Parts: sequence; structure tokens; C-alpha cells
Amino acid sequence: MWRGLWTLAAQAARGPRRLCTRRSSGAPAPGSGATIFALSSGQGRCGIAVIRTSGPSSGHALRILTAARDLPPARHASLRLLSDPRSGEPLDRALVLWFPGPRSFTGEDCVEFHVHGGPAVVSGVLQALGSVPGLRPAEAGEFTRRAFANGKLNLTEVEGLADLIHAETEAQRRQALRQLDGELGHLCCGWAETLTKALAHVEAYIDFGEDDNLEEGVLEQADMEVRALEVALGAHLRDARRGQRLRSGAHVVVTGPPNAGKSSLVNLLSRKPVSIVSPEPGTTRDVLETPVDLAGFPVLLSDTAGLREGVGLVEQEGVRRARERLEQADLILAMLDASDLASPSSCNFLATVVASVGAQSPTDSSQRLLLVLNKSDLLSPKGPGPRPDLPPHLLLSCLTGEGLDGLLEALRKELAAVCGDPSTGSPLLTRARHQHHLQGCLDALGHYKQSKDLALAAEALRVARGHLTQLTGGGGTEEILDIIFRDFCVGK
Amino acid sequence: MFYFRGCGRWVAASFTKQQFPLARLSSDSAAPRTPHFDVIVIGGGHAGTEAATAAARCGSQTLLLTHRVDTIGQMSCNPSFGGIGKGHLMREVDALDGLCSRICDQSGVHYKVLNRRKGPAVWGLRAQIDRKLYKQNMQKEILNTPLLTVQEGAVEDLILTEPEPEHTGKCRVSGVVLVDGSTVYAESVILTTGTFLRGMIVIGLEMHPAGRLGDQPSIGLAQTLEKLGFVVGRLKTGTPPRIAKDSINFSILNKQTPDNPSVPFSFTNETVWIKPEDQLPCYLTHTNPRVDEIVLKNLHLNSHVKETTRGPRYCPSIESKVLRFPNRLHQVWLEPEGMDSDLIYPQGLSVTLPAELQEKMITCIRGLEKAKVIQPGYGVQYDYLDPRQITPSLETHLVQRLFFAGQINGTTGYEEAAAQGVIAGINASLRVSRKPPFVVSRTEGYIGVLIDDLTTLGTSEPYRMFTSRVEFRLSLRPDNADIRLTLRGYKDAGCVSQQRYERACWMKSSLEEGISVLKFIEFSSSKWKNLIPEVSISTSRSLPVRHGGRHLNPSYLGGRGRRIVCTQEAEVAVSQHQAISLKPGGQEQGFSQKKKKFRFCSPATYESVLFHQLQEIKGVQQDEALQLPKDIDYLTIRDVSLSHEVREKLHFSRPQTIGAASRIPGVTPAAIINLLRFVKTTQQRQAAMNESPKTDQCLRDADRLQERQL
Repeated sequence: MWRGLWTLAAQAARGPRRLCTRRSSGAPAPGSGATIFALSSGQGRCGIAVIRTSGPSSGHALRILTAARDLPPARHASLRLLSDPRSGEPLDRALVLWFPGPRSFTGEDCVEFHVHGGPAVVSGVLQALGSVPGLRPAEAGEFTRRAFANGKLNLTEVEGLADLIHAETEAQRRQALRQLDGELGHLCCGWAETLTKALAHVEAYIDFGEDDNLEEGVLEQADMEVRALEVALGAHLRDARRGQRLRSGAHVVVTGPPNAGKSSLVNLLSRKPVSIVSPEPGTTRDVLETPVDLAGFPVLLSDTAGLREGVGLVEQEGVRRARERLEQADLILAMLDASDLASPSSCNFLATVVASVGAQSPTDSSQRLLLVLNKSDLLSPKGPGPRPDLPPHLLLSCLTGEGLDGLLEALRKELAAVCGDPSTGSPLLTRARHQHHLQGCLDALGHYKQSKDLALAAEALRVARGHLTQLTGGGGTEEILDIIFRDFCVGK
Repeated sequence: MFYFRGCGRWVAASFTKQQFPLARLSSDSAAPRTPHFDVIVIGGGHAGTEAATAAARCGSQTLLLTHRVDTIGQMSCNPSFGGIGKGHLMREVDALDGLCSRICDQSGVHYKVLNRRKGPAVWGLRAQIDRKLYKQNMQKEILNTPLLTVQEGAVEDLILTEPEPEHTGKCRVSGVVLVDGSTVYAESVILTTGTFLRGMIVIGLEMHPAGRLGDQPSIGLAQTLEKLGFVVGRLKTGTPPRIAKDSINFSILNKQTPDNPSVPFSFTNETVWIKPEDQLPCYLTHTNPRVDEIVLKNLHLNSHVKETTRGPRYCPSIESKVLRFPNRLHQVWLEPEGMDSDLIYPQGLSVTLPAELQEKMITCIRGLEKAKVIQPGYGVQYDYLDPRQITPSLETHLVQRLFFAGQINGTTGYEEAAAQGVIAGINASLRVSRKPPFVVSRTEGYIGVLIDDLTTLGTSEPYRMFTSRVEFRLSLRPDNADIRLTLRGYKDAGCVSQQRYERACWMKSSLEEGISVLKFIEFSSSKWKNLIPEVSISTSRSLPVRHGGRHLNPSYLGGRGRRIVCTQEAEVAVSQHQAISLKPGGQEQGFSQKKKKFRFCSPATYESVLFHQLQEIKGVQQDEALQLPKDIDYLTIRDVSLSHEVREKLHFSRPQTIGAASRIPGVTPAAIINLLRFVKTTQQRQAAMNESPKTDQCLRDADRLQERQL
């Protein structure tokens, strides 16, 4: 049941914050009869994933997803075809369970969907649920709160859970924050800042517009900013829907100058010929992904084009993609030809990629890097080691397999660090949440435009800002007042 | 610190009409003639007058203790009441039958509603008030309030006794000791001492202890409170100089005329005492670089500005404006102080420069070239008590039956003080009659937001009401304050007269009826058009329609699927039509047609969001219904996993509900769940063991509400 807590919340505190981070129709306050959903099985790869809903619209959601008029018999597992209500596309053949309240784990109407654990399926079902009116992703601890509120947890169940609750909600908070480290996070924070400022200026115009002297054009400025924000959000949402395959597991990217043996390593690690291997530099031109189990951890291994400049158009595109993938990696396997360390491409690679990742502080856990020197079989056995100024590295021969054990051991340590962090959670729910709130924000901005009553317009901005601050945190009234008093000379 | 003194000297204000006929004599045989009241209110400012009259309206024998009876109802700073946010508070005070709105309707000299163009939810009722009239009318009201006695005297100390075991708090207040050594006993005591706690007046480099000019500061009381363990902070405020009216050249300044017709503050009034054409104008002028220069050159002579005592983030004085927003022209409103007053109040020129420099600065300003300063501006520094030490009923956590209201809690403004005064007066009285406290939720009114902010978040600057602080702003409008609070004020507090209650009930039902008529009676478009030719009909709700060059608001008209978009004028016609055709001869109870029309328009404007807001309000109320046991010791309870930081925060603020706890910054969702778990666990244990009915009661109340919600 506690898995139900694996919902995400960026908010550290509720409160005036929560009050002011307003929810629109799609996301009413907890306890007000909204229906919530969450992935309630654990992260990582598993055969079956369990998605739960709780609230009055649960039955409705179940009927919509199963395209059925009637609900299945209560508390019996039934096999149903789930399909997306918007497109009608089948999502999965799944076991569904219908628990009408109060005999359910939260005391409300609940549904469980036991779907096949693939990320695409889970993501599809979550998005389908998000599109049902009255449903929204659950907040931190919301399932638990509802269960408590309805007297569903008995004393013995509850006694040992205090610390678990703490760990879970805090991990959710960290995860939500971590998810915001990336590009989307920057975008969201920027948007939230713009919106907060626009709202502050509208609020200033309401509270001080007549008694104090505000500058001309305060409202016009806010209008302009909101319009720009609307365009940016709209573009982003259209964009996000198109692509971004879901990839779960740690992202390990193999990179290096051309012909260092990256594809050989990928094939070696995945025990199958994923990539074409040839002595010709530039053989790999696209990003090749393969899910593998490395030392017991789920890993998405990517082979990328060798990094070099000034070659054909296709290979240049491959290099661009390689660099892009590199930025998203949890762990980088940087590969060099041990017998070719003096070449310009090797030096350049060391100076740019390896040095830049190495320069990050160890506490900044966003990326890790292992430097691997391949083709150790080509080194003369008696010769001095590779250049003394190299950072810590591993020697490997993909040809003979020498050094593979050492590499696997190093990988195990790194992956344990990456995956052991409870905050590296499933991206699926985070994405459903992001989409839900960004769409909510965009809808509210639409209302702003239409409002002729300034108090209504401000309300629309408050709702819009509430959605964004659900993702970025913050959002109190004090922030607004700070901006008002910073930007305007008001007071008596 | 327990005082059991003999009969004190008992001095009545000479013109007190009721020569204590109502004061009960103490039954204590040791002090047979010691006066005994239900409620004592200390301080006759805006909080004190409201508190005293509210307690008396609730049926308590009340004593108002003040330094000087002739300063009761004094407007110590600006000669105006209301404004944006503050006007909302006044409407709510009036809804609880408080005084200030009614007195303002009798004493104003310039009535103007601010924000007319920004929607009825944020209209700001405001008026320039004649100081003398206000004071006269207030004193008349106070001295004619049944059950209320007024006495002059400075309070030196509190009388404390053993605490009541069924409540938290380390002792209980049972009366006060005056400076002359006499004692007065009471069941509840309300402190509304304003800026008098260690008040210091500052002009230039001079500082001298005082409350307002000419009054005595309260030092003994401040020491007592500190000894009791109250956390004290220090704040500062200021007031501008007063200028001789005949020394100002108004002819070259912008003139602002009052509204015609005037909008009264009180729900009971149809109109104000004075016709618009007899009202006084205000004038606008601006500062200039020469003002900046004088301020900046003389900062070394200005200790108030230099001191580190926390001032607000907003700009209260001309010095802070010049320092923080240099090279700008700042507004100065020249406001009349009264009908026959020779003084003008330059709003925006609050200043603490030495007196001679104030005049020099003022004569740089357009229109004020020959201005005479009659009284220099000055700064005030004073103690306030961290408001997280009081409950939402304004009773202190530390001392049972001791209530704080007004500036002592860190607020600024007459209206904020009055709002707290009413609540303190009601609760002091309810406490005497052992009834549950009267708490206004932040979902119910601006008063609730004010008190919830203070008691859960505290404040580090003089707290002022803004509409932006109110998350349910569209629901908590000035036009519906009576429906929100008058009914509760009658049923739960007993501070509202039967007549007002009936009037509010009638208003509520006729509004509801009218709205349902407008919503559900379905006519064809053409029929509506016939009935109300002004109406412009659209099947879409969201599309704004232009009508006669004006934007139109979506509103109620029409039935399922079909919405009619109409102008406010058209809505006026609808309410007339509805009144005529659907409620023939409906009681009008002296309400003008116009007012009723407006009352239909306002909710119609916001109908599109009010439904969602209602859902949210329910969610918040559900959290607020989950009461935390009052006797919980956050620092030591073992069964709850809470960080030390969270424990300290909860310990200091002592939130009464899960809702309030969740609003305390730094209290995490995890902590809230753990608290909830603790509450539920305690509930189960107690249900099993059937003991400590108090905590159990809280929980049962909470459950009852949940059942209602489900």
C-alpha cells in the first residue's frame, strides 16, 4: 500500500504555499473529491506494474479506459483491453480490479490496473488516465492521507510506518527536484519566474493602482509577457508530445574518438552484435541503444558516433546526436585507443569531454565518467604505461577480453551509486505530472486573455502559476509581495 | 505574581452615563467592594473600542480602561478609513455588527470607491473622515452601549491566578492592577495597547518615550508580559507633518472629487450622512529632486531611518521612498482632516527629519511653497508580541483568558486593528460563558486571512491587509460579507442583533432565489430579447461580446447549454423583471433596487470560477476540521516521527488544526502525514480506553465534518 506514495511532489511545504499554488478544475485540492492516480509498484524493470486510482471518478475512469458500459465485478481480477480514450489505440491487455468504497484501501472508490511493466505501456496508461476529466496525478502522500482520513489504517499497520513515510515523501521531493535539473527544469523555472512577475505586477495594479503611483504600462507589460509565455508553453507541449521515447534504467553512453573500439565494447557488454564493427573510422553514425543487464542493474547502453569534425554530412549529424546523448548520460564510458593516445583526436577528446566531466564537483552527481583505454593488446608489454598525466583509467582489450572483469567491477560500483539513489525514480510519473501541470498552466493563460474583469484575469494567472510551482516549488504570497515592493514604490 | 489586593480607588470618567450600575460586586469576601467584570478591555483605540462593544453585544459586563476618555476613537494617524483590502475588512467588521463602518458613514467628508474599473471583488471602499466627528460619534456610541462601562486609568500589571486544569497555559488572568494600585477583576482581559508598549517617539535625533504624542507609554505592562515569557519584537512606523490649510495654494493642484452617489460602508445604511456636493475634495501634488536632496543631505540627522528596527518592505516614509526609488516624483495626497479643520494631512510625506528641516522640505513642493507646518511628522518605535503566541481566537497560549488585539500583534492600520478587536471581544465573551471559540477561517473572510497569517506565520514588518494575500479573493467580496459572516455572527458568536440577522437571512435567500431563477428559467433567445431589450445573446460563455462598445460579462442567464451574455445594465433589468414577474410584491425591507441589482451582478461576474473555488474551499475546510489536541507537547511526543526543526515550529505556533499546521513554513508533507497518523492513533487508543474526553471531542468533531463531506 505504501507504494502508493510513490507520487511526486516538488513542494517541500504545503500551506500558504499550497493555498496559493492554486489548482484549476483539473486539479482540485486534496480531499475535495478529486480522483488521484499513481504508479504504485516500484521503479525499475518489472514484469507487472500496478497503477492505482482513488476517488469518485475511479469507476468512470475504468469504464473509459476499458471502453465498457459496466464495471467489472467488485474485487475480482478481470482481463480487459485498455485503450487510450482520445485515440482509441489499444494500450495493453491488463488485469483490472474494481474496489468500490468503502471497502478499499483508501476507503474511496479505487481501481487497480495491473499492466505489463514496459515503460511505454505504463506511460500510455498514465497519460490516458490524466486525460480523463477529474483525474490528476497524486501528490506526495496523498493515498496515505486519504486512507488515514477514512480510518483505513489500523494501529499495528501504522506503528512502524512513520519513518518510511518520511523517507518516501522526502525521496519524492528529491526526485521531483532532480527531474528539474535538466532542460525542462530550466524552462519551468524560467516560466515560473516570468509568470510570478507578471502576476505580481497585476496584483500591484489591483492593490496599489489607484492609491500609489505605479508606472504607466504595468498591465500592458504583463500582457506581453503572458502572451510570450503562452507561445513558449504551447510550442513545448506540442513538441513534447511528438517524441522522447521513454527509457528506463541508468543511461550509459559509450563515447570517444573514431575507431577507439566503442562498438566492440557495446557488443562485448551486451553479448550480442548490436553494432557493426569495422576497422574503418566512422562506422557508427547513429545512436544505437540496447537495454542490457550490467552487474544486475538495468542499463540502457548507447553506442555513439566517434567524435570528430569535418566529415560528411551524415556523420556530422551522428556526431551531433552523440554529443546530445552524452549530455543526458548518467554514466559515460569514455573510450580511447591506448596505442594512439598522442593523436590529435585523442588529445582533443581528453581535453574536452573527459576534462569537462571530470571538472564537475563530486557532489554534483549528475554525471559520472569511466575512462577506458582499449586495445591494450597493442601496447608493448614492457613499455611504460600510457601518458602519466592521464586521469584514472582502466585498461581493456576488447579483442582478448583482458581487463573486462576490472571494467565490470568498476561499472558495478558506479551503477550502484547511480541506481542506489532512491531519488533516481521512474520518469514515467514525472512526465505525466509535467504534462498535466503544463497543460493546466496553458489553459489558465487562455482564461487570462479572455478575462475582462481584472480580478478574474489575476485569478487565471494565479491558477497558471499554481500549476508551474507544483513543478518548481515555491509559490507563496510573500514572493508576490517581495516583487511588488521591489519593483514599485508603494506605501503610505 | 498573584495579586489579592483590597478595594481599589474607583474612578469613573465624569461623563460616563452609566455610573457602574451594571458592575457586579465581587463575591470574594476578602475584597467585598472590588469591582468585577466579565471582560476588561485595555485601550480605547480602534481595536479596543470594537473589542469592548463586541463583548458587550455578546452579553458580557464589560469595562473599557483607557488613559483618557476623551481620546477614545482618536484617529492617531491618517484621516481616512478603508481602501483596497482594508475596505473588505470594514465590511466584515460591519457584518459582525462592529462600529467603525457605521461611524464612518456618519463622519466622512469624502467618500470614494477605489478600483471601480477592476471588478467588484477588489473594490476598495474608502473615505476621508472628519477626525472630530469620528471621535464624537464613536464616544457617543461607546458611552451608550448597554453593558459597557468606561473608566480612565493606566494599567500597570495583570492579576494572575492558577490555570484552569482543562485548558493549556501556565496561568490564568483574573484582573488588572492600575497605576494607582487599585485592582479590577474580570473573567477575561483583552490587551489593545497599540504602540504604547515601550513606545518611543522619534523626531530627528531626539527620542522620548511615549505612546502617541501627549500620552503615556505602558512600561510596567511590557515588563510583565516579558516576564511571563512572551516573545517581544520591535517595529517602527511614522506619521507625516500636519499643514495649515490656508497656507496651501490649492488652485494649481489636481483636484479629486468624491463619488456621486457615495457608497456607504455599512450594510445597514442606504446612504451616508452627507451629500456628495457638500463633501470636501482632495488634492494631488508630487515631490521633486529638491525634496530628495534635502532628505539625502540630512540622513545623519535622522535616527529613525538609520536604526535597524524592522520597517516594512513597502515604503512608509518619504525617506525610504527617496532611498529606494531615487530620481522619481512621488505622489503626495493632500487630505482634509475634517469639515471645520484647519489642517491638511499630506499623505505620502511621513517623515522623521528635525522639525525645521521638515518645513524646508515641504516648501519645495508645488502648491506648498508657503506651507506652514503646524505639527511636525514623527516616527514611533514600539514593542509588539510575536502573534504566533496567540490562537486564532486571539487568546494567548501562555496565559488563559488573556487576549491580544491590534497593533500589539504586529499589524498596522485602523481596519486591521478593528477586525482583530471584534474577534477578541467576541471570544473573550464566549470564553466567559464557556462556549467554543469563534474563529473566522481564511476561507470565510479577510479577517480569517489576517488572523491565520499572523498566528501561523507571524510577521516581521507591520502587517497590512492586501487583497493579494487572499487566495479566495473572488469569493470573499465586499458585497457578500454579510452573507458570509452575519449569520455566523448571530448563531456562533451572538454579537449580531436579531434584526440584522433577519435582514441578512432575507438577503441571502432572495439572492439565492434570484440566482436560481436566472440560472434555470429557460426562455428562448427571442423571449429574453423581448423581456430585456438591452441584452446581447450568445450561446458561448467564454466569448466576450461587445455591446454598445462595452465588454460584457458572462452571467447566469439561460439554461442548460445556452448562456446569455449580458451587460451589467441588462442584468439590472433582469433583476427588476424577476422581482416583478416572479416575486410579486416581494419584501423590499427598505433596500434600494439599485443595491440589489448590484448584488446580482457581482456573483454573476465570477460565476465561472466560483464553483471551482468552492471545491478548493471545501478541501481547505476539511483540513481545518482535523483538530490537533491542544495539550500536545511537540518537543517530547515520541510516537511521531518529526524533525527537531518541525517540532520547534509546531511548539511555537501551536497550530490548532492540520490545516494551520500545513501552512507553517518548513512543516513538510511528511510531517503532516505523521501528525495525522498521530491524531488518528490517539483517537483509536482513546476510543479503546475511553478517557480524556477533550482530545476525543476534537477528533469526533473532525470526523463528523468528514462524514458530512462524504
